[in-house]
Amino acid sequence: MSVGEGAAAAGDPLPDEPRRPPDRGLRHTAGEQTPLSSLALAAGAGGLVLVFAGSAAVATAYGWTPTESLAEAITSPAQLVVLLTSIGLGALAGIAGLLGARRAMTKGAREGAISGAALGLQAIVLAGFLLWFRNGDVERFARQFFDFALLSDFTDRFLRAAGNTVVLALSGEAIGIALGLVFAVFALSSRRVVRAPARAYINFFRGTPLLWQLSFFFFGIVLGLQLDVGVYTVAILVFGLNAGAYSAEIFRAGIQSIERGQFEAARSLGMSYLMALRLVILPQAIRRVIPPLTNEFVILIKDTSLVVVLGLTLSQQELLSTARDIYAQTFNATPFLAAAAGYLAITLPMIRVVTWLERRLRSGLTGIGA
Amino acid sequence: MNSDGSLVRLEDVHKWFGDDLYVLRGIDLAVTPSEVVVVIGPSGSGKSTLLRTINLLEEPTEGRVLFDGVDLTDIRTDLNAARTGIGLVFQQFNLFPHKTALGNITLALRNVLGLSREEARERAVEQLREVGLEEKADAYPGQLSGGQQQRVAIARALAMRPKLMLFDEVTSALDPELVKEVLDVMQRLAGEGMTMVVVTHEMGFAREVGTRLLFIDHGQIVEEGEPREMFASPGHERTRQFLAQVL
Repeated sequence: MSVGEGAAAAGDPLPDEPRRPPDRGLRHTAGEQTPLSSLALAAGAGGLVLVFAGSAAVATAYGWTPTESLAEAITSPAQLVVLLTSIGLGALAGIAGLLGARRAMTKGAREGAISGAALGLQAIVLAGFLLWFRNGDVERFARQFFDFALLSDFTDRFLRAAGNTVVLALSGEAIGIALGLVFAVFALSSRRVVRAPARAYINFFRGTPLLWQLSFFFFGIVLGLQLDVGVYTVAILVFGLNAGAYSAEIFRAGIQSIERGQFEAARSLGMSYLMALRLVILPQAIRRVIPPLTNEFVILIKDTSLVVVLGLTLSQQELLSTARDIYAQTFNATPFLAAAAGYLAITLPMIRVVTWLERRLRSGLTGIGA
Repeated sequence: MNSDGSLVRLEDVHKWFGDDLYVLRGIDLAVTPSEVVVVIGPSGSGKSTLLRTINLLEEPTEGRVLFDGVDLTDIRTDLNAARTGIGLVFQQFNLFPHKTALGNITLALRNVLGLSREEARERAVEQLREVGLEEKADAYPGQLSGGQQQRVAIARALAMRPKLMLFDEVTSALDPELVKEVLDVMQRLAGEGMTMVVVTHEMGFAREVGTRLLFIDHGQIVEEGEPREMFASPGHERTRQFLAQVL
């Protein structure tokens, strides 16, 4: 059943409207499946769902807390049955999928068979991992990493830590973008004496580890020279300098990607070099560099964790140093899971927003890359 | 105007690209107000480079370029100010893709000439009307046909109220059916007395609109004269060969 038929039945006043291209997804190919491909799909999807739902059901039956019951759940015979069944279903899906794909008469049937085999493979891999995992000292592991009750005492600290991570990354990136813009323009200068220092700065900060930079600027320069600068300030400055070097390269590539004719048109209208850059080149270049710049920003968010080496006070601690600090107090590693969740909570929305922004800029009537 | 009554004068202009490529080999040219000088010649002959040295988009390696009494090749000259008097239209249009047709025109009016928002808008709309695109004011370049884009580009250059207009193969990138709308605008402009230097392959335009024809080959002006006469009886063998190929 195609989209076009449904529209015609509803009395679509625009019969000339181009039909949507056929959707190869599972939903629209349902009508075309052969017995083999249906079997592959059902077994594959069933196996994968069972790994998650079955394991969750077992864990719920034993109770998520305290930690000991979670460990019991993982090592229970019921969990073993769940995993082995999943692997069996996955293998069945794989075999049926391979056979079904070869014998498929329609594209839909082949897509169904291959999708089933792929789902089955995923079920096998996941269940296999969990099976292997059961063999270890699950109870010890669960006590170390799944002591969620412990976290409730530290909620405030983690919230403040997430805030600090965001502040460090955002201020670093803001400084980085400003520096990057300026140094990209310097690096593009036709004058060697302008270009050379820009290249030196960029190469130095891209060529040495961020960890080294943080240590050197704090322990070497600030402490060594007995300067009255806080560790937090140093960290933000170093993050800014480091992000600046990467941003400079990104901006340089973006500026160079704009057709020469744009610059010539601007100059022939009487604009100065800087005016042409500001009004014509940069507005176009910035749209093109949003994806690599975001990538850079996401890396910086994670790299803020390197400040652990500097020794921060309680109120300055960001996610990873907080996790380490609590670990040192409690000898329990669950805070590290919380830190990971914190990083994801910051980076994933970022990535979503930028994907949306990128799509909007491209689909908009702004004619980028005309 | 220059002291000799010309609007533009090129004096013994040479241009090298690097050490090996010798593109202009001693060009002397004077264009008087209201002249329409059409430059023709084989590809690679230096036509476009010649045109682009007039507003110093290409800096001559040797020689002088005088425009409206100012030596553009003098290091002390304010080139940005001088360029506002010279409009240049490109083969590839080079409209700013992030600006609407109107925004393309007002950008330099506001930022270079310092017009107020209202003045700039008014002038831009008027200029768009003159090229027949008033209703496309809010369209982005990507929404316009090639011919429309090129007419916006002409309007953008004209809005600066230049004394001289340079056209660099402005119809070469257009589909055949779009060429005429651009040539019509240029012809009307010539009729209004605009001084123009036009590099083109449109021999019909050269004959009908040009007041002087310049044939360039290997970076030198081989022959110049009244277009109809030159088409009828070229005086030089190389001109004859070139015209035989393009006509």
